[in-house]
Amino acid sequence: MEGAQRPLELILARNFLTSVTTPAVLVDGEGTLLFYNEAAAALLGRSFEEAGQMRADEWIRAFAPVDEEGEPLELDGINLAGALKSDRPAHSEIRIRTASDGYRALEAAALPIVAAQGKASGAIIMFWTRTDNGET
Amino acid sequence: MKVKIWGARGSVPAPGPTMNRYGGNTSCVQVTFRDESQLILDAGTGIRALGLELAGAPRVAILLTHLHLDHIQGLMFFHPCFRPECEITIWGPSSPEASLEDRIARYISAPLSPVEVRELPCSVAFNDAPASEWRIGDVTVRAEAVTHRGPTLGYRITDGETTLAYIPDHEPALGSSLDDLADEWISGYDLARDVDLLIHDCQYTDAEYPAHVGWGHSALGDALKFADRVGAKRALLFHHDPLHTDEKLDAMAAEAAERWRAMGRDPETIALAREGDEIEVNAPGPAVHRAREGRSTFGTTAAPQVSTRG
Ligand SMILES: [Zn+2]
Ligand SMILES: [Zn+2]
Repeated sequence: MEGAQRPLELILARNFLTSVTTPAVLVDGEGTLLFYNEAAAALLGRSFEEAGQMRADEWIRAFAPVDEEGEPLELDGINLAGALKSDRPAHSEIRIRTASDGYRALEAAALPIVAAQGKASGAIIMFWTRTDNGET
Repeated sequence: MKVKIWGARGSVPAPGPTMNRYGGNTSCVQVTFRDESQLILDAGTGIRALGLELAGAPRVAILLTHLHLDHIQGLMFFHPCFRPECEITIWGPSSPEASLEDRIARYISAPLSPVEVRELPCSVAFNDAPASEWRIGDVTVRAEAVTHRGPTLGYRITDGETTLAYIPDHEPALGSSLDDLADEWISGYDLARDVDLLIHDCQYTDAEYPAHVGWGHSALGDALKFADRVGAKRALLFHHDPLHTDEKLDAMAAEAAERWRAMGRDPETIALAREGDEIEVNAPGPAVHRAREGRSTFGTTAAPQVSTRG
């Protein structure tokens, strides 16, 4: 039987994200964006219902993360990818493109979700707007 | 495939004169396959009476959904455990913390029990339920984690063309309405998809549920929605709240039939489980008879007149 359903830990993670007001996204083990919550939608200027699930290359293009020097980042260049590849948490300072006000400086923390098989089935990434050096 | 209900109560045994028709014993379901082999689903207090019927069985296989007491309490009173010639195999959820045997031994040990697991006269093997489908004889079994409190499995059991799903403790609507979720985000969806018979949690009425969100169980409305979403051909609602009397459960059965009809489904294909129910899973229509009352399990909505259960 073909499996249509996500593993329980991702279902519960999505559930959790809908209940918090910290902007947060849920990605699977390949970096595909599976879901983001309403707080993240406010940041990105686009609801998840509108955007839908996106492969890693699609959301990289849509949100255009850049590093401190303004250079575009690929998934591997984002420290957060490490959370998926090495099952380790990761913290990163990035800037992303938002719908309303150009680029915004963010801090991001990624937590791998490891369940029964001992391998990350995805990660929760939470975002905080940086206040030290302001928005660009 | 035949199913017999030995216990349909949730949480704690609830015997008493107002509980006689639906029964007070906790979760236990006996499944008999085409080749007469059997599986037992959960070992709530219902398994005690089943054990007496299995007096001569050389081998017994038990699938535990989880280790809450209402699903294992009968183990210590299960007659085959005390027969040296009997081989018992028990599957259950794995845990990073301790083996299945060690976790069950917390109950079957002093001071809670007069015997220790290692003292049981039978030969007993404890297995973590595999992460992928496995076979027990000619039957295919699949276990998946489902939303409850603590590590909990549901089971999908296939014998030839016939499939049963057993998800007695389940809160798929936790945190979001099932109406708002795509299939892939519904706990238990794959386990229950297109089954001939779904046995599913229905602990609460819709009015009771808001005070019990996060307790790991379903309201009637969510149980019906889940059964419909997965395309279950028939559904047997299970794990009745210990506060629900026969009268209350009759009212819930009538409501279930009415709402099922309103969802465009045949009300003959929904029922509340009662201790003693025997169901021929792949029989067409409401071909199931409640022997005690001479009426069909499915489609029974009126309150029966008498109780004959001893
Ligand atoms: Zn239970
Ligand atoms: Zn439970």
